[in-house]
Amino acid sequence: MILVRGLTHRYGTGPDALTILCAVDMDVPSGGYAAVMGVSGAGKSTLLSILGGLEPVQQGTVSVGGEDLSRLHGRELARFRRARVGFVFQDFGLLTMLTARENVELALTLAAVPRSLRREQAERLLAEVGLTARASHRPPKLSGGELQRVAIARALANEPAVLLADEPTGNLDEDSASRVMELLERLRADRGCTLVVVTHNPELAARADQRLRLSRGQLVRL
Amino acid sequence: MTWSDAAVLALRSLARRGARSLLACLGVALGTTLLVALLSISGGADSKIVSQLSHGGPAAAIHVDAALPDPSGFESDTLKSGAPRDLGAAQLQEIQDSPHVASVVPVLAMPALVVPCPDYQEFAAHPTPPCRQHTDEYFGALIGADLARFRDLPITVLAGRLPRAGSMSEVAVTQGYMERVNLDLNRFQDVIGSTIEFSTPQVAPGGGQGRFRGRWYLATVVGVVAQTVDDGEFLVPIQQTQAARQWALGGVDGRVFKRPTSPYSGLVVVADTLADVHAVRREIFDIGYANSAPEHLVASIQKYLHIVDIVLGGIGTVALSIAVLGVCNTLLAAIRERWREIGVLKALGAADEDVARWFLVEAGLLGVVGGLVGTAAGAAVTTVVALVVDRYLKEQGLLGVDLGGLPVPIIVGAPIATALLAVVAGLAPALRAARLPVREALGG
Repeated sequence: MILVRGLTHRYGTGPDALTILCAVDMDVPSGGYAAVMGVSGAGKSTLLSILGGLEPVQQGTVSVGGEDLSRLHGRELARFRRARVGFVFQDFGLLTMLTARENVELALTLAAVPRSLRREQAERLLAEVGLTARASHRPPKLSGGELQRVAIARALANEPAVLLADEPTGNLDEDSASRVMELLERLRADRGCTLVVVTHNPELAARADQRLRLSRGQLVRL
Repeated sequence: MTWSDAAVLALRSLARRGARSLLACLGVALGTTLLVALLSISGGADSKIVSQLSHGGPAAAIHVDAALPDPSGFESDTLKSGAPRDLGAAQLQEIQDSPHVASVVPVLAMPALVVPCPDYQEFAAHPTPPCRQHTDEYFGALIGADLARFRDLPITVLAGRLPRAGSMSEVAVTQGYMERVNLDLNRFQDVIGSTIEFSTPQVAPGGGQGRFRGRWYLATVVGVVAQTVDDGEFLVPIQQTQAARQWALGGVDGRVFKRPTSPYSGLVVVADTLADVHAVRREIFDIGYANSAPEHLVASIQKYLHIVDIVLGGIGTVALSIAVLGVCNTLLAAIRERWREIGVLKALGAADEDVARWFLVEAGLLGVVGGLVGTAAGAAVTTVVALVVDRYLKEQGLLGVDLGGLPVPIIVGAPIATALLAVVAGLAPALRAARLPVREALGG
């Protein structure tokens, strides 16, 4: 589960400091599904980054899957990202020099999964997102929807407790966006992982158990 | 991420930026080529120059004379001998058993009346060859040595070949002989194949002070040499001069020719290394024989050659350093291009050292490939330069040179050193990439 208490985050120091999150509280139960909305610059991605251990906790407490992120640094944070969370980015974040399968294998490589098992696991994950036939294709040969599905397969490679998706449909057409969201929701249900999605789209947000809005540093439940 | 995983990722990264990787690799290869070629050529030239000082023989060769040592001779390069002292197998063995002695080759020089017979073959059937009617005979010296071990002797074959070991009818001459018989010093073909008749002396008992009997024999000139085995214009197998000695021992001491009581007139002793020459000379000195070696000359020339080596090596190192900085530059540029990839990798859980490893392996791969290509190219350049120099020298009527092959330490060391340098050059980019804040790398 995700438990956030009094999370405050600033960019810069002194009089020019910009407080992006101000005493934010948030609870997402294990296996829950939360959607965070807000205008650009409201701090949605910052909140997601802090939840995923990409940004340090400046003030307040953040607990993800029972781990207090304010106590983790360096290698411990890297281990946390490897083991506990899976990221899905708006621009997919795939390495163009690798094939779809190799991109999924990359997450397994970082998790020190034996080489002999990586290929099999990656192919199983790609099958799960319906991309068996595209496993040997590189990102430039894939459509937007396919790219995002590869990114989802990669995010799930290490069976994370929490799936964090930052505008996962932002670069997709309506049809692809809907299919990607359906996939994310299905996988969440199948695997029982917690899903936090940042989106501008109220229709997508409406599908979540919890709808939250960030405005002027405050997180309010809708 | 293991090193092999990092290598796979690095190879893919290099392949994606093929042109830039190739240019960086070529830069390293060119730098390595220059360094390898300069070191090989200068190293080869050094050994040839030192070898020339000893007339093609080992630079660590010491000449031992069958004489007592002059106390002032030890600190000098030139031979300073005292009273004659016999030098035989026992003494040879004692010197051979001394520390740091690689080999000992006995030498026996004998006087001989020399009768050049260039046209002898035309009158082979004649009972008295016409050359004996001439008045151009003179007394010279036959230098007998174990020619089976010619590599341990200060001998350079200028043309033709050495007499076969044990041959009693072949001789090699120096250019001094060619000069004496008025031949063009560069027209070796005029002397090779010609005949010389020798007569080694035996002072007959009761034959008077100035009279001797000769042991005559004919020899064909098979080669022209430069040598410093001993003073003399004729190099023959030691069996020839040993036969001459036996003949001379059958006589008595004369006014000019004494009975050669010493089995050897000298030795050529080769020390293990140049650094051992001084100690071996001391040992021979203590055993009681005069000896000499151009150790001071070699040492001072080596100092100058060493300076040349340092300068050439420095030039090559600067070239290689510039090339390796190209690797650094390529990787720094790659960081900016891979900003987002580094962020993604870290978001997936890569630790700083995983990212650093990726970049270091990439730098190492550029270094290894560049080093291997550069070493091969350096070897090719060295070979071509050696061929060109050799041909030029021969066209100028000079002695050609063989710079030899690429030294093994350079073949092995160059790619390793280049890879290490490239890794060192890749350290700064690797650390920079590793320390990149993940959110910043993701473009947040």
